[in-house]
Amino acid sequence: MILLEPHNYIIQTTLVDKFSKPTTLDVQFVDFDGVRFHLSTLDRKTVLLLSMHIRCWDELVRYGAQDVLRREYGSLVQSQPESDYNISLLIDLEKAPPEGEQRDAFIHSIALMKRNALAAPFELAFKKQKELENSSSGQGDIMAIHYRDEEAIYIQAAHDRVTVIFSTIFREETDRIFGKVFLQEFVDARRLPQIQNAPQVLFTNRDPPLEIRHVPGLRDSEDIGYVTFVLFPPHFSNPHVAAGTVSHIQLFRNYLHYHIKCSKAYMQSRMRHRVSEFQKVLNRAKTEVASTERKTVTGRTLQTR
Amino acid sequence: MSLLAPIICDNGTGYSKVGFAGNSDPSFVFPTAIATRGSAAQSSRSGPAVPAKPGHLASKRGVEDLDFFIGDEALANAKTPGYGVYYPIRHGQIDNWDYMERYWEQTIFKYLRAEPEDHYFLLTEPPLNPPENREQTAEIFFESFNIQGLYIAVQAVLALAASWSSNRVTDRTLTGTVIDSGDGVTHVIPCAEGYVIGSAIKHIPIAGRDLTQFVLNLMRERGEMAQVPPEDQLKVAGKVKENYTYVCQDIVKEFRKYDAEPYKYFERYDGEHSVTGRQYSLDVGYERFLAPEIFFNPEIYSSDFLTPLPEIVDSTIQASPIDVRRGLYKNIVLSGGSTMFQHFGQRLKRDLKLLVDRRLEASVISSGSALKSSGVEVDVISHKRQRYAVWFGGSLLASLPEFYSSCHTKAQYDEIGPSIGRRYKIFGSAT
Repeated sequence: MILLEPHNYIIQTTLVDKFSKPTTLDVQFVDFDGVRFHLSTLDRKTVLLLSMHIRCWDELVRYGAQDVLRREYGSLVQSQPESDYNISLLIDLEKAPPEGEQRDAFIHSIALMKRNALAAPFELAFKKQKELENSSSGQGDIMAIHYRDEEAIYIQAAHDRVTVIFSTIFREETDRIFGKVFLQEFVDARRLPQIQNAPQVLFTNRDPPLEIRHVPGLRDSEDIGYVTFVLFPPHFSNPHVAAGTVSHIQLFRNYLHYHIKCSKAYMQSRMRHRVSEFQKVLNRAKTEVASTERKTVTGRTLQTR
Repeated sequence: MSLLAPIICDNGTGYSKVGFAGNSDPSFVFPTAIATRGSAAQSSRSGPAVPAKPGHLASKRGVEDLDFFIGDEALANAKTPGYGVYYPIRHGQIDNWDYMERYWEQTIFKYLRAEPEDHYFLLTEPPLNPPENREQTAEIFFESFNIQGLYIAVQAVLALAASWSSNRVTDRTLTGTVIDSGDGVTHVIPCAEGYVIGSAIKHIPIAGRDLTQFVLNLMRERGEMAQVPPEDQLKVAGKVKENYTYVCQDIVKEFRKYDAEPYKYFERYDGEHSVTGRQYSLDVGYERFLAPEIFFNPEIYSSDFLTPLPEIVDSTIQASPIDVRRGLYKNIVLSGGSTMFQHFGQRLKRDLKLLVDRRLEASVISSGSALKSSGVEVDVISHKRQRYAVWFGGSLLASLPEFYSSCHTKAQYDEIGPSIGRRYKIFGSAT
């Protein structure tokens, strides 16, 4: 597996399992960025309630997450979410589509719940860009989504592009250096001819990019970095491409951290290999201990202590 | 941020059980296998690939660090050219740290979809795990993953904790004997107040795999397996073992019962030929009670290992310090898939009680009836969560409030270093 997938594995496997054999269930699990899920059966074994808690729900609602989720899930969305959670879906296994491709698609769409909720501001920005395109000037408002305690995504639409800015924090020194190298690579990689069409990526450490410099409450410290993606209309004019763009960009932060961790492991395995090689060299360099037996005239052996 | 549930990760030789604290079942159970590039012979000699020449970063841009699969996907990719499948855990202990580190990466990011920096972790270790392994684990989790806190628990102790869910257990104690029988080997592990008595641990080379083989042998001898394609026979035998077997109380009576009323006791197993799609149906007979019987009478299966399980348990407890023996007899806990047979606990309890009473009687006689014992209480506890008892015990302990204070935190690790992994605190028991 090279890329992280946008859907949640636990939702998918549990639903597939429950479709084949409904049993009572009560599980809690998480997704990236502190999203909490609660999947439980209500009074009947075939009725499942899936609830989601997401930190930046209020902001997402402001940017139209309710509408997106209603569009995706229709009547499954409960008007009154479970207490402690932001949104609940009621899944009746008996009313679900018939087995086969349709059901797989249904399960997959439910597993994409978090992605769909987070997609709202992106879709809004894409729409806004369309509106501004005709006026050929002007900018939309900056939409800030504080998806983690100290980190946020800023999205801004302009007449010819949509700018997405991530702020990210590296808790550890090593991670920060890895992160810097990686993000610098993004900038360099774009020079390769085969990926000229990729969105433009800019990386700044510590100093926020000009677009969001006026936003209050930005942190000013060494461990923060800003990644700016500039999306042009070809990246989102086609709805299919737009969906892919949204899925990928959402997972950007998690993927970055995943990749940093993978690289560390890779480096460490190389280091372990190197150490064992050096150890072999050292062992070869050891002088052999003289092991000839020394005897006295009478034939008794001498022992060295 | 500690709102997010701790992650429980029980990596066994065959299967890994991972999930979140507070749930009653693990979210994922998949093989502890990893598929990466490079064949086994090659990688052990030349090590990981190193770029040919140093230079500009862009020239060595590759995905070697991300190119691997774990779990079921690893086995599915076993035949893909260029990939080799590895099992990073041998005999319960981590054998290859390179693979294990990558295995954890994907478990956390791909399957659990959690950011390790936001979570506490509870890992398990086998009894007699060298402290160096604990250090190494702590190093990987704190330095590579930057987790918030780590607790490494002994599997046997977690199995004891899992037994608290049984309604027969009234006091939450961490003293007891754990019989852990998985696929490869069965261990009998005595624990006193949360610490394993290492010198008294005993292993039995009979476990799930042997039971399946025994069922297969019996059915082959009777000629039932003739209809089943050879590649499916082991799987069918496994299904028969899981679905139809039980432990009987008296083997002679059971044989008689079956012969008198075969239609009542014989079961039928229906299957489908994997190639031709033809239906077949097999008789399941004596193997229903003979299969688990090899724990109690190993001579019917193996010729080199002949000590029955109750005797092993008895000698394990006798090898433990005298002041904990009562507690060990009183609280014998079952864990692992191969202890799930019906009436397994009752039979073990009866046989063990017999052994203990006989010894007490002998000591009364040898003391010339001057001293009389008040008797020793023997109890075997079976509960609903036996299959994933270790994982469940972890889930139970990690949802206690004391869990967070018993963990080693990132700050403590930074202060002390990997040697922090050597120390751990027992918690959760009422006594």
